[in-house]
Amino acid sequence: MQDGGAGQMQDAYEIRIIEPGQAYFSRGPGGVFQGVVDGKSYPEIVVYRVFPFRYASQYISIRDGKGEEIGIIRDIGEMDEESAKELERELGFRYFLPSVTRVDSVKQKSDLWLWELQTTLGPTKLAMRNLHEHMQFPGGGRIILTDVSGRRCEIPDWRKLDSHSRMQLTDVV
Amino acid sequence: MSIERTLPERIRKRLSGEPVFSVQADLMLNGHFGEMWLAVTEREITLWGAEDEPSYRLDARELTEARAVNGIGGGTLLADTKNGPVVLSRYTAALSAAFGFAAKWLTAMAKGEEPPLVSKKEFPRYCPSCGNPLSEGTQTCPICKSSGKVLRRMLRYAKPYKGKMAIAGLLLVLTTVVELIPPYLTKIMIDDVLQPKNAGSALLWVVLGLGATSFIMSVMQTARGLIGVWVGSKLMGDLRNDIYHALMRLSLAFFDRRQTSQFVGRVNSDSEAMRQFMTDGVIWVSAESLRIVAIFAIMFGLDWKLTLFALLPMPFMITVSMTLWPKIGRRWYQQWRSIFRLNVLVGDSLQGIRVVKAFGREKTEISRYAEANRELVRHNIRIEGLWQGIFPLFSFIAGVGTLLIWYNGGSSVIRGELQLGVLMALISYLGMLFAPLQWVSQMINWASHAIAAADRVFEIMDTPSDVPDARDPVPIGTIRGEVEFEHVTYGYEKHHPVLKDINLRVKAGEMIGLVGHSGAGKSTFINLICRFYDTDEGRIRIDGVDLRGIGQTDLRKQIGVVLQETFLFDGTIAENIAYSKPDATPEEIMRAARIANAHDFIVRLPDGYDTRVGERGHRLSGGEKQRVSIARAIIHDPRILILDEATASVDTETERQIQEAISRLVKGRTTFAIAHRLSTLRNADRLVVIEKGKIAEVGTHEELLARDDGAYRKLVDAQKELSRIKGVEG
Repeated sequence: MQDGGAGQMQDAYEIRIIEPGQAYFSRGPGGVFQGVVDGKSYPEIVVYRVFPFRYASQYISIRDGKGEEIGIIRDIGEMDEESAKELERELGFRYFLPSVTRVDSVKQKSDLWLWELQTTLGPTKLAMRNLHEHMQFPGGGRIILTDVSGRRCEIPDWRKLDSHSRMQLTDVV
Repeated sequence: MSIERTLPERIRKRLSGEPVFSVQADLMLNGHFGEMWLAVTEREITLWGAEDEPSYRLDARELTEARAVNGIGGGTLLADTKNGPVVLSRYTAALSAAFGFAAKWLTAMAKGEEPPLVSKKEFPRYCPSCGNPLSEGTQTCPICKSSGKVLRRMLRYAKPYKGKMAIAGLLLVLTTVVELIPPYLTKIMIDDVLQPKNAGSALLWVVLGLGATSFIMSVMQTARGLIGVWVGSKLMGDLRNDIYHALMRLSLAFFDRRQTSQFVGRVNSDSEAMRQFMTDGVIWVSAESLRIVAIFAIMFGLDWKLTLFALLPMPFMITVSMTLWPKIGRRWYQQWRSIFRLNVLVGDSLQGIRVVKAFGREKTEISRYAEANRELVRHNIRIEGLWQGIFPLFSFIAGVGTLLIWYNGGSSVIRGELQLGVLMALISYLGMLFAPLQWVSQMINWASHAIAAADRVFEIMDTPSDVPDARDPVPIGTIRGEVEFEHVTYGYEKHHPVLKDINLRVKAGEMIGLVGHSGAGKSTFINLICRFYDTDEGRIRIDGVDLRGIGQTDLRKQIGVVLQETFLFDGTIAENIAYSKPDATPEEIMRAARIANAHDFIVRLPDGYDTRVGERGHRLSGGEKQRVSIARAIIHDPRILILDEATASVDTETERQIQEAISRLVKGRTTFAIAHRLSTLRNADRLVVIEKGKIAEVGTHEELLARDDGAYRKLVDAQKELSRIKGVEG
């Protein structure tokens, strides 16, 4: 941003879209997400979903290690396979939201609700103080579960789960 | 340190030296659930999975810094090494605080500094016996505690009324006994009067007996009912008071995280549900169980063999009740949740009704409501339907017992083994027995509804305040007004500080202007002085006394606040001005209003100082409200004054009036003022520029302006530019 001037001022308020082919992502030797955008290499890149609920794999904000935005990727699908895969993986790390594949049980014990779940990232247990503050329904059959310690899991569509899971859910959704 | 001790022995054995620090992660490096250990010795940092060899080793000399990068629902511990950053651990949000601490610890180690001390807050606590998370500030695990506790705790509310309730109970016993007389009289009538065709005075006496019993019964029922109503209303009043008291006690941080409209429902409907159970419910349960026992006793006395038939359906009914019990509870909660969502929706859109109208979004709001309403209807049908289904089922099952008695008893009568009167009495007692049995399902309904409500109510009551009062608060009397910030760090979420390492000494009577971009942390700064929140690190002292050691009532007496959003309570202007000093005389109120430049406009109102303001009353303009709230602060006569954007969004003339009022108000008081318009801070003794949660500059207006590249200079220049543009537009 050295050239300054009125044109530059305007650019600062413009959303910068990174076109496919302008960016390449990979994982560094230390396991850190890194990449090259517009020929400039960044040893550490942080990714943000701009619309985490509506567009999980579109509109990804690419930022450097300090959090300054480099640009926005419109759609991961438009990128080369290698970069897309790494980007997806990084999003998976940053947005830790395992997808529930089966609800083993939902029990209420005294004033805690205990959930035993099978997720895409392995089995887990959630504990909630109540349901009305810890279950979100963003629309469709989707449910976001948040436990007392801030851990989250997602049920993409509870109506599509197996019958055992649906049984467990009947009286809580 | 306690955390090292938990490092498993198998790892400890294989370490190259004594562990100096260790922490457990709940995710593996590929992001899947699993256990990993990070163990640090003097020489190296190692990472352990299930295998006997570390999955990663890092020479301690390589490390330059460690960072906890928090994502959403989880995070990553990164180590910066001489060869670039390395991922050390991944963890879920449950461990954010622990890894934030680990990062600090590792950074200190890398830089050769003294490692930070572990505080209990950093680590999530789990119940030692069941492994479920414990909430902050409690020692008892909610799961391991006895399940009858909620019930017992709820019944404790009935204690002050035990005398009255005992009378009700006694009346109940009597009614029950009296109620059982008529069928017995019927038996006498059939067997001893009607069948032998005995036309003497016996018939009249039996009928008179029947009349007397029903009269006594109705008198006692009325008395019992009146006592029930009295106790019930008192109980409900107590409950509501307690809930409201609990709400008022909670810290601001609790309300920040929640929509306030939900509490309206809680205070009213939850206490009603609990009341219903405790008065109607408890009385009914005792009455009906008493009745069941008495009826069985009499029936067994009349004919024990036939009575056994009546008992046949009982096990079935009990089993059904036990299995349905939890289901009904859940459905009640489900229905409550949809009411809750509906309330929140209505609360939100009515509060924002101006925005809704301005954008013409009434239709959207209506359809949002319709959607939530549909859900409520669905859940209503589910719970009511379930309940409607049980009722006839129970009657039918119970009816089977009657049929059995009719058949067997009937044949005995035909064979002449049983008197007709006994059979008739048995049948009518059985009829009386079914009424309470049907009440069993109603009871289930009430009790589970009440327990769900009690759960929510006790949840509020049990939430510990984030800003607890000191056990022996230091009496401060009237303070001088010295304020000192010492290494203060605070974040609304602990691992995300908004203010970082703030150090500032303010002399008594000094006026401090807080300057900075929005979001820099100015309001947080002020909230900490009021002790709406407690600092995470460091301390704030007033006259040398730690804020935490001062009683909150004492503290608030010394602090006056004029906030950006002026909130006037429902009541008259005079009441609002005298809010902090209800015994203020009319002269005091007028004087305060005069100083606040509010007296004139108030007098000109048709209702003067008695004008009703607040939700339903007279609408004051923004500037007028401001001046009323300044008057409120003046009458409070605080030693420390806080002004948050007091002159935002008013026209120049009003601003001048408010300015004038403020300059009178600040005289002799320690003042902290936030203003976007830098010109309003020209009276400040010192300006404190806050940038990204840190103090960037401190000095007088002139001193700071003289710094060519200073942050304040930049802000002033930007504002000049803005007013130049505005000037052109105007």
